[in-house]
Amino acid sequence: MERKPEWLKVRYNQEAVDEVAKLLGELKLNTVCKEANCPNLGECYRKHTATFMILGSECTRNCRFCNVTPGKPLPPDPEEPENVALAAKKLGLRHVVLTCPTRDDLPDGGAAHFAKTVGAIRASCPGVTVETLISDMKMNTSALDVVIAAHPEVLNHNVETVRELQKAVRPQADYQRSLDVLRYCKGKDPTLLTKTGFMVGLGETEEQIGRLLDDVLAVGCDILTIGQYLQPSPEHYPLARYATPEDFARYKEMALAKGFRHVASAPLARSSYKAWEALEGVHDLH
Amino acid sequence: MEKQLSLPRLRPEMTSGVLCAWLKAEGETVRAGEPVYEIETDKVVNQIEATEGGVLKKLLREEGDEVAAGEAVAILETE
Repeated sequence: MERKPEWLKVRYNQEAVDEVAKLLGELKLNTVCKEANCPNLGECYRKHTATFMILGSECTRNCRFCNVTPGKPLPPDPEEPENVALAAKKLGLRHVVLTCPTRDDLPDGGAAHFAKTVGAIRASCPGVTVETLISDMKMNTSALDVVIAAHPEVLNHNVETVRELQKAVRPQADYQRSLDVLRYCKGKDPTLLTKTGFMVGLGETEEQIGRLLDDVLAVGCDILTIGQYLQPSPEHYPLARYATPEDFARYKEMALAKGFRHVASAPLARSSYKAWEALEGVHDLH
Repeated sequence: MEKQLSLPRLRPEMTSGVLCAWLKAEGETVRAGEPVYEIETDKVVNQIEATEGGVLKKLLREEGDEVAAGEAVAILETE
């Protein structure tokens, strides 16, 4: 195993993790923090924040960068929307991020379950903002319409990597389809803030990153996250390099210069990490 | 009271990690919330915090050792 650079250090406190894990376990809830083996879990759980992974913990796709278990997922848990709302209330969340494994087995890709969960949070947690980090739902516009109609404050869908590495890194997804999802959602409801993210360290070039930024901006995307790819295990897609904090600062400058409204770019920046700050940052610009 | 500090299971499938550095020496006082040692896993280096204060009475493992999840790495004399 290659030695980790200095900037990839995180704090971990077992008591804080246990406290949040116990609450989530009692409500039969999954988090992407745990399923994706997120390096920020210790910090986020300590601050009582978590990203709920609704619609089960098994994914119908098998992206080579991702730690979520591929498999045959169970039908959606009808109690899950209420349980997420209850957990959000107990944790005192001001911004709830919902994500899911890709559910190609469901005709609507899980859209109705997303909408129910947003509705349950709205009913139990007044004033709390919601971000839905969705799959591409196979670009099924009637499914996307259901999520859009639930009107999350932020609609997030990740392109994950540059166009040139899509086939190798996420073989069952498609760069253009992801761009189409972002474009469609923004076009359908321009008041939605749209957000995407990608990883560096998979072998992309700076020119390819520049083209990705242009592509994403062209579909009206407001918020961008850029983080380091961290290989979950030796079986996953090989790590090409560790980008330095200076590289991330440069990517951020590039993105802001091109016109993004908010950019989180740091080695441990993740799609939902400090998501509330991103929303707040954009609102400041209103 | 003596308590064992054990390597937490940082993720469900974790079996072991490499103890890459002690951040406190034997005999040193540790406060709750202070990082005590570093464990390298597949993705990052984790600084493991003490969940209670005390004196680090004995270090049971050395830097560079591969430690199994749940295994004791030190003995803490709690306050």
